[in-house]
Amino acid sequence: MSTINIKKIDDYRYLIPKSSRQGMKIDGLIFASEALIGQIEHDLTIEQIANVATLPGLVGKSLAMPDAHQGYGFAIGGVAAADLEHGVVSAGGVGFDINCGVRLLTTQYLVKDIVPRMDQLLTQLFHDIPCGTGKTGVAKVVKQELNTVLCDGAQWAVANGYGNHEDVEHIEERGKIAGVNPEYVSDRAKERGKGQLGTLGSGNHFLEIQRVDEIFDNETARVLGLHIDQVVVLIHTGSRGLGHQVCTDYLEVMQSGMKKFNITVVDRQLACVPIHSKEGEQYLSAMAAAANFAFCNRQMITHWTREAFVKVIGPGSLRVVYDVTHNIAKREEYDVDGIRRQLLIHRKGATRAFPPHHPDLPQEYQDVGQPVLIPGSMGTCSYVLVGTEGAMKETFGSTCHGAGRAKSRTAAKKEITADELVKNLESKGIRVKGASKSGLTEENPDAYKDVSEVVRVVHEAGISRKVAKLVPLGVIKG
Amino acid sequence: MVSFKLLEHPADIGIEATGSTLVEAFASAAEGLISIIVDPETVRTQILQRIEIEADDDEALLVKWLNELVYLFDAEHFVCSKIEIHSLVSHTLKATIHGELFLQDRHTTRMDIKAVTFHQLFIGECNGRWTIRVFVDI
Repeated sequence: MSTINIKKIDDYRYLIPKSSRQGMKIDGLIFASEALIGQIEHDLTIEQIANVATLPGLVGKSLAMPDAHQGYGFAIGGVAAADLEHGVVSAGGVGFDINCGVRLLTTQYLVKDIVPRMDQLLTQLFHDIPCGTGKTGVAKVVKQELNTVLCDGAQWAVANGYGNHEDVEHIEERGKIAGVNPEYVSDRAKERGKGQLGTLGSGNHFLEIQRVDEIFDNETARVLGLHIDQVVVLIHTGSRGLGHQVCTDYLEVMQSGMKKFNITVVDRQLACVPIHSKEGEQYLSAMAAAANFAFCNRQMITHWTREAFVKVIGPGSLRVVYDVTHNIAKREEYDVDGIRRQLLIHRKGATRAFPPHHPDLPQEYQDVGQPVLIPGSMGTCSYVLVGTEGAMKETFGSTCHGAGRAKSRTAAKKEITADELVKNLESKGIRVKGASKSGLTEENPDAYKDVSEVVRVVHEAGISRKVAKLVPLGVIKG
Repeated sequence: MVSFKLLEHPADIGIEATGSTLVEAFASAAEGLISIIVDPETVRTQILQRIEIEADDDEALLVKWLNELVYLFDAEHFVCSKIEIHSLVSHTLKATIHGELFLQDRHTTRMDIKAVTFHQLFIGECNGRWTIRVFVDI
């Protein structure tokens, strides 16, 4: 339970004044409704948002989205902007699963085309896409090729027959963060990653076949290629062991670096170094490499998803709507108090949400803004949003990333058995295929906050805009 | 006497390990970590690996020690069920671990561990009993 006093500003904003805790250099700001703030206050989330505000060289406020929950060092659902000249970069501010993210594919099928063959389709997907603890990928790459993956991301996958050039246009950063030097990724990280390219993993990662259930904005939905009753596919995974090891390696580098730069932090997991230091620049290069690995991973899974649809349903095309990252640090430009500033935006469990006419958006989305994909918990619903000017003004172009956990994995497991859970989901018309029974119950939908309430807050606060609601038909899980 | 229990955390899992010496507590923490990844009862002791690691302090050493086991599973597919710590002096640890290569059909897997964290990390001694608390990201 939080011991820090927060101040309600309006129905969707709560301030943590910098005076509320010693060492805070900037204020904290939480986007939440009354219903959600109660859950956020329940654990150490607010302490962690305040702890982030003690780091050197941060600009604006230490931000938390309505899906925020306790993490390690940084809260999940946090956004922190560091001045590029004088600020710090923190490996913990990105997290272990670098570029954990989501990709949405549309199909030309309606629910009635898919439902009769759903079991067969899930079995095929489960067979073709390696998932679960200890599963390795079918695409083994040698070290030299892995270095190319780290440099080229999803563009490597397309060049090697996994997908097409149009896919790349619909990925954040076009699926490749430039300027990677693979030498800054340790051999241990490469060892962990080389067998895991093209694997879904375990935990909260999944592939879901969904139905477009509700449209909130017809014109934007039309531009994104979404219509009622259409079948779509949502893929949620990240950089696997390679990204986890990059974070582990650089936490150690940054802990040593802090002594050199005379930086102290209130929690060792917040370890950070100046952005312009050798350590900072090497981390950002290694982080970009891991992000590219994740873009490549989702691209390969997209390819196998397409193949599985062809095998079971028949010829057709699955189009990439967009692919967003939830855990990343990006160099971006914002107006802060009337001055244009170069910043490093840490998004840990938060999504970039650029408004219409932003130069980084693909041509066809220029009038509607960047698609933002919000996966709900298994068996509930997911949302498609778009970015807004409000996000540029208030949240460094960021919004929420999902439902956010409300209960621990062990608490979630105690409440229901895997068989009961599968039965519950099937009674709602949702088929589930999971590698592990224990993994399924930990992702019990009751363990999460209400994603619809999370999305309502970001919509009403004006930091993104609702376009469509998606409900699951079938799920594969690690 | 090796002993541990798993702790609740909103997103992840913690291990509380105890021992009558720091070495025993480090061994208990390792057993706790392994039990998160795989059912240790299903693992035979067919291969041994020697581990020697050092760090700036005991907290960093503990994180490095447990991360080593995560790495061995994730990169080398090595699962272990028996841990012998030979020495733990001046933040340097020497150990031998026994286990086998991971087999999908033989071993009951539980969860992937992404990494071991410094979050709320605690190592302490009270009345001759050492306690370790450490959280892992899964």
